[in-house]
Amino acid sequence: MRKRWLAGALPVVSLVVATACAPVQSGPAQSSGDETTGQVRVWLFDEVNRAPKEKVVADAVAEFQGKHPGVTVDVQYIQVATRAERFKAAFSDPASAPDVAEFGNTDLSGFVAAGGLADISNPALNWADVHDMLPAALDATKVDTKVYAIPWYIGVRALYFRTDVFTELGVQPPSTLDEIAPLARRIRAAHPDLLGISVGGKYTYGALPFVWGEGGEIATSLNGKFSAAIDSPQARAGVARYTELLRDDICPPAQCAGNGGDASVEAFRAGKAAMTIGGDFNRKSVEASSVKGKYAVVPLPGKAAGTIAPAFGGGNLLGLLAGTKHRTLAFEFVQLLAGKQYQRKMFDAMGNLPTYQGLQRELAESEPALQPFTATLASGARFVPNTPAWAKIDSQAVIPTMLQEIASGAKDVDTATKSAADAMNAAFGS
Amino acid sequence: MTAVRTGNTQAKRDRRNGRNAGRGRAEAVTMVVAGVVAFPLFWMVLTAIKPEDEVLSADPKPWTLRPTFDSFVRALTVQNFGRYFLNSVIVALAVVLLSMLVAFLAAAALTRFRFRGRTTMLIMLLVVQMVPVEALTVPLFFLMRSVGQSVPAFGLNHLGSLVLVHLAFSLPFAIWMLRGFVAAVPKELEEAATLDGASRFRFLWRVLFPLVAPGLVATSVLSFIHAWNDFLFAKTFIISAAENQTLPLALQVFVRPDQNDWGAIMAGATLMTIPVLVFFVFVQRRLVSGLAGSVKG
Amino acid sequence: MSTATRRARARSGEGRTALAYLAPALLVLGALLAYPVYQLVVISFYDYGQEQVSGGAPLEFLGLGNYTTLFSGSRFWAVLAQTVGFAAVCVAGTLLAGAALAVLATRVRPWARTCLFLAALGAWATPAVAGSTVWLFLFDANLGLVNNVLGLDGFSWTYGKWTAFGLVAAEVVWCSFPFAMITLYAGIKAIPGEVLEAAALDGASTRRIATSVLLPLLRPVLAVVTIQSVIWDFKVFTQIYVMTNGGGIAGRNLTLNVYAYQQAFAASEYGLGAAIGVVTTLVLLAITVVYLRALRRSGEEL
Repeated sequence: MRKRWLAGALPVVSLVVATACAPVQSGPAQSSGDETTGQVRVWLFDEVNRAPKEKVVADAVAEFQGKHPGVTVDVQYIQVATRAERFKAAFSDPASAPDVAEFGNTDLSGFVAAGGLADISNPALNWADVHDMLPAALDATKVDTKVYAIPWYIGVRALYFRTDVFTELGVQPPSTLDEIAPLARRIRAAHPDLLGISVGGKYTYGALPFVWGEGGEIATSLNGKFSAAIDSPQARAGVARYTELLRDDICPPAQCAGNGGDASVEAFRAGKAAMTIGGDFNRKSVEASSVKGKYAVVPLPGKAAGTIAPAFGGGNLLGLLAGTKHRTLAFEFVQLLAGKQYQRKMFDAMGNLPTYQGLQRELAESEPALQPFTATLASGARFVPNTPAWAKIDSQAVIPTMLQEIASGAKDVDTATKSAADAMNAAFGS
Repeated sequence: MTAVRTGNTQAKRDRRNGRNAGRGRAEAVTMVVAGVVAFPLFWMVLTAIKPEDEVLSADPKPWTLRPTFDSFVRALTVQNFGRYFLNSVIVALAVVLLSMLVAFLAAAALTRFRFRGRTTMLIMLLVVQMVPVEALTVPLFFLMRSVGQSVPAFGLNHLGSLVLVHLAFSLPFAIWMLRGFVAAVPKELEEAATLDGASRFRFLWRVLFPLVAPGLVATSVLSFIHAWNDFLFAKTFIISAAENQTLPLALQVFVRPDQNDWGAIMAGATLMTIPVLVFFVFVQRRLVSGLAGSVKG
Repeated sequence: MSTATRRARARSGEGRTALAYLAPALLVLGALLAYPVYQLVVISFYDYGQEQVSGGAPLEFLGLGNYTTLFSGSRFWAVLAQTVGFAAVCVAGTLLAGAALAVLATRVRPWARTCLFLAALGAWATPAVAGSTVWLFLFDANLGLVNNVLGLDGFSWTYGKWTAFGLVAAEVVWCSFPFAMITLYAGIKAIPGEVLEAAALDGASTRRIATSVLLPLLRPVLAVVTIQSVIWDFKVFTQIYVMTNGGGIAGRNLTLNVYAYQQAFAASEYGLGAAIGVVTTLVLLAITVVYLRALRRSGEEL
């Protein structure tokens, strides 16, 4: 009896559900206010060695508060790993959101599509300093010609290697992409306690130069419509080149398949790897580790000898959240932090590569250690597909899953790249 | 204990002698098991007081000759640790008090009265425990946002929102457990009280409540743990108000997927475990009789 | 006034009092559990991503679309099978360890029992995040004590699918057996000593006492412990999430609950995540109903 009643009720219930009640939507973000006093809330990324960053930011806050009586700046350091959830929550409840935030340049288009960021084209393009910045860095802040953030620093990666090990074995740093695997294998054969090269199954930005170096692309765009190209022959060659490193005779998958960039560098810092792919932002921490004085950095070589593999042009941005009630103040604070003076201070504190061309040249001359990174940048950095769908592809871990499937032997290169391409196309299509 | 209360003393002594050898073996096994079970905790505390180079040594020793509180200092100096601790205590205590009160009333109703829908309610109490908490985060997020628009103290970014969700999540199990305690109180007592002219309400507070109190204490442990351990809701609901964060988030500062500060993590974990452990040990006896009561009902 | 009407009036009065007592609980559970569950079901019928949540894109009703997407992918079925298998191992481990140790606890003097209980309470009291982290550290490939003792230097427990599941299961059993042990111990203690004595005097063997005296008397307790273990272990989240770093290499250690979380929060597919949540609940419900049926058939009442 009761069951029949239930069976009858179900369609009715689902109909009611379908028509009368829908899930909650936030409604468009309210027009942002422009109060000139009160508290400006700022989110910055928490980092491994945060103290120097915190000090520089505290200086900036003091300076800003001195200039604006009646204004306080509250800075919170949020975790990079869980930032997506924090930002989603903030976008969904603008009342609880901060005014200014730091985020990665790959986050931008997804954040804009989610309606979370304020359009700051007007103040930004009228700020003279912005035009001294690297054009590529500035491009990464735009969606459809509108500016949503100011570049704060640039992150490029290059090849770190152990000079002591290379001297002992009488080998030279690799001059082409193809040389990396045999060299790494040879080193590990001679030093079984060392990883030939420390890379990881989750290290997307370590793998991408191999794809680009082989002439492949993640995706191609035609009239603004993206389609995956990760299963093209060139891209597959690059993926194969990279995953060849995730083998027992170079970087055993049991150790490396779960690693991202930081963990890959960490093995190098611990003296357990002969090479790794690391960023300019890792330099200070490697310098403070057990391999100090026993390593050098060169650009990651490209397909042909003498060329440099295109690096991923990473970097962090500062932007305003859509619901900010202190538009002018918030932008002024961004101007202060991203200005030449404080970018320079951040370089001294953390090693972050500034976004100003002049400042970069100046620093490269005084700090030879920066040279491999600036050279990599000068030879042309590349970027992930500039579409909101990328945020989804990134958060679905499409590329790491692909790399891990190959590294763990679950799928071969062709199958794994094919399913990655399908997943990407699904995201582009929606 | 299964000791015999009557019977021949000689036979008893014989049996006891035979039993002693077996009991010795059983006790040895018990101690080994206790050691194994406690070992991760021992390791946690040990790692917390080891100096950093020993923590990162590839040849870990089960002792340290150079104990240090460095890791505790790192854990404690993380932004607002004291504030986080206090927030966790506030939320957990509020949840415990409210859930005990509400669960006691509900358990009394479900055990002492026969009414239509009673069985359905009992089953529903079981069913709601099956819904994965993680899946409810999204609807609860929006619910709390709406609540916050009329009562800010219970909205997002405030501790009140955490109290409300943990209250809701700890209630079903608390009612389920308390039901057993209430059932264990003899019916005759109630009849006697009614004959004495006591109202139902008086009976509830003057007779039933004191009798069930040990069970309440036992049950409260589980509600306490529930609220104390949570980091999912703290992470989701407290968006930008750093002054309203709770303890598990302080611990998260050291839990990095790549570069773990094991010493500080273990120190933080130790600090987080101690209050629960103290609570547990404090109510241990009641917990045992409490769980017995809950399953009799 | 006849007795019947008096009784009827008393009964309706009872109903009213019962309702008054239940009201706070009903209010809390209705508003904070039932309503969100309802919302969860509603969300599972929509294409509900981050753009929809923040109002940047219109809502699209998919009906059972999310469910068909889910059921047509091989991923879901693999994860479902893993979840059931993993939960079964955890429940079996929890019950076996709990029952064996509960019996052991009745056979030893109080000091030994206190040691055992303190250790168990410690394991129980350890927050899931903390416990998982400690276990990870113990089994760490390079810094872990276990590899050091076993001479497995560099062996990664969390890499292989089965070693990873095994490690997580061990941790889950470690922190959930105390509930089973203490409840069962309490259950055994509640059995009057005379019953066991009588059986022993009748010359019954220990095994016979266990199977034909203890077990039937303990069945209600066992039922409660089993149901709670099934509910808890089927929904294990923190341990998998922390210990396999969100689901293992290429997601091969996912269970339904973590899968739902990943879909909802990592990939912003709230609709799909909600659908997985609904399915998880239904599967769990089905398992419990089957179990309760079996129990009722063997003569037990809830």
